[in-house]
Amino acid sequence: MKIFVIGAGQVGFAIVEALHEEHDITVLDTETSRLAGLAGRYDIATFEGDGTSRRDLATAGVKDADLVIACTSRDEVNLVAGMFARREAKHATTVIRTSNVEYVELWREGQLDVDFVVSSELETAHAISRIIGVPAARQTDVFAEGQVQLVEFDVEEGASHEVVGVPLREAQFPRDSKVAAIIRGTEMLLPGGDDRIATGDRIVVIGSPEAAQAWSTLLAPGESAVRDVVIFGAGRVGSAIARLLLEQGMSVRLIEASRERARLVAESLPKARVYNATGTDPDFLERERIGHAHAAIFAMRDDAKNLYAASLAEVHGVKFTISIAHEAVSVEAFEHAGIDVSVNPRGVTAEEIIRFAHDPRTKQVALLEGNRYEVIDVTLRDTSEYIGKRFQDMPIRGALIGAVVRNGSAIFPHRDDVLEAGDRVIVFTEAADADRVVKAL
Amino acid sequence: MLAVDVPAAANMVGTLCKYLGLAALFPTAVAIGYGEAFWPFLVAGAITSGGGYVLERLTSSSAGRVGVREAFLVVSATWLLAAAFAAVPYLLAGGEALGHPVDAYFEGMSGFTTTGATVVTDPEVLSSSMAMWRQFTQWIGGIGIVVLAIAVLPRLRVGGRQLLESELPGPEIAQLSERIRETARLLWVLYVGLTAVLILLLASLGWLGIDERMTLYEAVAHAFGTMPTGGFSTQLDSAASFAPASQWILAAFMLIGGANYLLLYRAFVRRQPGRVIRDEELRLYLALVAVATLALAVQLGSYGIADGEEAVRQAFFQVASIITTTGMVNADYAVWPAVALLTIFALMFVGGSAGSTAGSIKVIRHLMIGKILRRELSQTVSPEVVMPIRLNGTSVDERTLRAIAAFILLYVGAWALGAGVIAIDSAIVGADLGPLDAIGASASALGNVGPGFGVTGPYGSYAPLGDVSKLAMIVLMFLGRLEIVPVIVLLTRHYWRL
Repeated sequence: MKIFVIGAGQVGFAIVEALHEEHDITVLDTETSRLAGLAGRYDIATFEGDGTSRRDLATAGVKDADLVIACTSRDEVNLVAGMFARREAKHATTVIRTSNVEYVELWREGQLDVDFVVSSELETAHAISRIIGVPAARQTDVFAEGQVQLVEFDVEEGASHEVVGVPLREAQFPRDSKVAAIIRGTEMLLPGGDDRIATGDRIVVIGSPEAAQAWSTLLAPGESAVRDVVIFGAGRVGSAIARLLLEQGMSVRLIEASRERARLVAESLPKARVYNATGTDPDFLERERIGHAHAAIFAMRDDAKNLYAASLAEVHGVKFTISIAHEAVSVEAFEHAGIDVSVNPRGVTAEEIIRFAHDPRTKQVALLEGNRYEVIDVTLRDTSEYIGKRFQDMPIRGALIGAVVRNGSAIFPHRDDVLEAGDRVIVFTEAADADRVVKAL
Repeated sequence: MLAVDVPAAANMVGTLCKYLGLAALFPTAVAIGYGEAFWPFLVAGAITSGGGYVLERLTSSSAGRVGVREAFLVVSATWLLAAAFAAVPYLLAGGEALGHPVDAYFEGMSGFTTTGATVVTDPEVLSSSMAMWRQFTQWIGGIGIVVLAIAVLPRLRVGGRQLLESELPGPEIAQLSERIRETARLLWVLYVGLTAVLILLLASLGWLGIDERMTLYEAVAHAFGTMPTGGFSTQLDSAASFAPASQWILAAFMLIGGANYLLLYRAFVRRQPGRVIRDEELRLYLALVAVATLALAVQLGSYGIADGEEAVRQAFFQVASIITTTGMVNADYAVWPAVALLTIFALMFVGGSAGSTAGSIKVIRHLMIGKILRRELSQTVSPEVVMPIRLNGTSVDERTLRAIAAFILLYVGAWALGAGVIAIDSAIVGADLGPLDAIGASASALGNVGPGFGVTGPYGSYAPLGDVSKLAMIVLMFLGRLEIVPVIVLLTRHYWRL
């Protein structure tokens, strides 16, 4: 597939990184230095030019593209580039990134002439909402309209002995769930019946939303459902998260340092309680009982501030901290510092955009562990060799079928179940094998 | 250097007076019809129109444009002159009841400001045309003289917003989104339409024989007293002269008169009943009416003053009349027990809705003050909390909130000062006024309600008061109608000097 990427920033970088092996990629950016960085690392074509210039787009060869991704950090550039690309490349799928939720709404109403609009803010908000839904989880993704959840857990001290330390075939798992992978150190294991989960492992579970909740309770018995959230920073990301969580009926408090911004957000979110404060004033944290919140989300503009505020919040008793990490490198630093979960908006956005690059049969893709593993939602071809096979007879080839979606509802397969033509399967695999797996199915 | 273009303001006042004088044609026609003396009205009209014309001509060469500053002066001057215009026929032919200049001006101001406070103990002594003139002044003043002018005169299109906002009752909370001229026109169309409906309803009660005393004359007179929430009546015992059916209709139209006209327009013309029903001010307004009616009805019943339908009717009529600052009555509430009197006294401070013909503080300001207080209490506990104050889902800007708080302080201040003057003056001239009567008279005048308590009660009059008290009440009525601030700014140095 020929992919044309406009913007070589962090999102562009992540997209190229994930797609460069199987696809033919051209990247357009105004800055040579960024392009050089990319071209030095990956085998791609680069072109110095302006995404808002129709001539530059034409010269760079946008008209042969199958997929055009406009992912600069500026909405206006992406909109214009997306529109020109639509004119130049009539058959290409156009995807644009935006940081303004309003454009997403406009697109849903059919007012924007592009195929898909991906908003960093909305994707980040959804990612955070999924994490909060399963408090013990490090990362969650949903498939098949939310019927199937894929959840990553860290197994820590205090996890139930029903599942930890016993061979998997004897363990008492929640119904409708499967351990897709055990990650021990740098190694990943597609577990068989004799393998055991050990403390310190990171495990990947595929199952129904109820099963995900049940896993959460098994692995972290103390943590209860999150009903009360404090969000530090009411910028675009913070307010998008607040809006989503409010819609889910949670109680949300927002802390915003800018008076003007605080007022604006308070006006647009009547149900949230908004404070005009820095969030790093111990008196304030104490007086407003911030430590009693079930979870605190740090969505300020500056990673360093997020880290400091999160540490302070932990000192004040917040048990569950989630932080936005604007820079990819911050994710590790945050984890090291004890922040429970970090979300990189650009990474989340890239992940969302990458989904469009897959086989048309593929509905959805999730990336785990810094792009090492993929979860693919793919429809079975009529000619697939797997049709009619029982699950227990299937060879293990570095991939695992976590769930099957048949006639719109999810089935969590057992040993005797058989695959049928037209089934959608949710497969967990190493990223390097993803293409092979999709072809095989 | 003078910051106000006085000739421009005077020029516009001249224009307004020129047209206002035409209002005298209506009582002239009535006088001719009833075979009464019509010359007092013609003289009044001639003086007003002629004077206005001369003023307009004298200033036309030097006049600039009427801006925001001039608008304050125009509105105040117009209203002072309008009251004088109304007073001319009283002065010329008012006889014993109204002939004294202070009394005539009092009655004129009371009419135009739709207060309904009177120095005429028995209105039945007035001639038919004079009584109708009294009613008619209320009707013109109801929605506003300047508002009418804006609707009709193309010249006032420029700078009209400030004029309209100075005259239209209630704080400006994003309701004047339409063009000024459209708003003014719409208000008057609705006002005239409602008045016509009321006249028709009342008159048909007369024609059908349900209410034999309700002639066409009385129907018109009482529609003119009700729709602008005025309160004058041609009858000695006010609305009690008429059948219960008429009283119910009058009370219902008082409530309509006290509702927000722009909201009524949405309900009736644009057919958006959903938005109207959810309106916070309307809800509070109706809730207050319901609670107060219940409270009064229970008291009337338990004291044996009235029972059954009569108790409910008396309670409802008085509540509707006082809360909308009309002041027409169907019972002498002055003889009711103390709690009932205090209920009525409290209602004098409520007022109708913004954008209505009612006076006093207005429901919306009470609503907003309640919200401001709630926020203050929250911020006492959490100083950092940001709580925009909302009305019907939209947040209200801080300047408007400050203006509301300032208005209420000025209102209470003016009321207290007025009460003081009336009490002291009454002590000096030996008028028979109790403590509640003095503060009631001040509240009633400032709120444009009309009747007070004791001798100044609904079946009494303000005739026993001294001239100083009457002058104080004239000032209070004037302040109350223009909602204090546009008048008070004229007294500041900042207004006149750069």
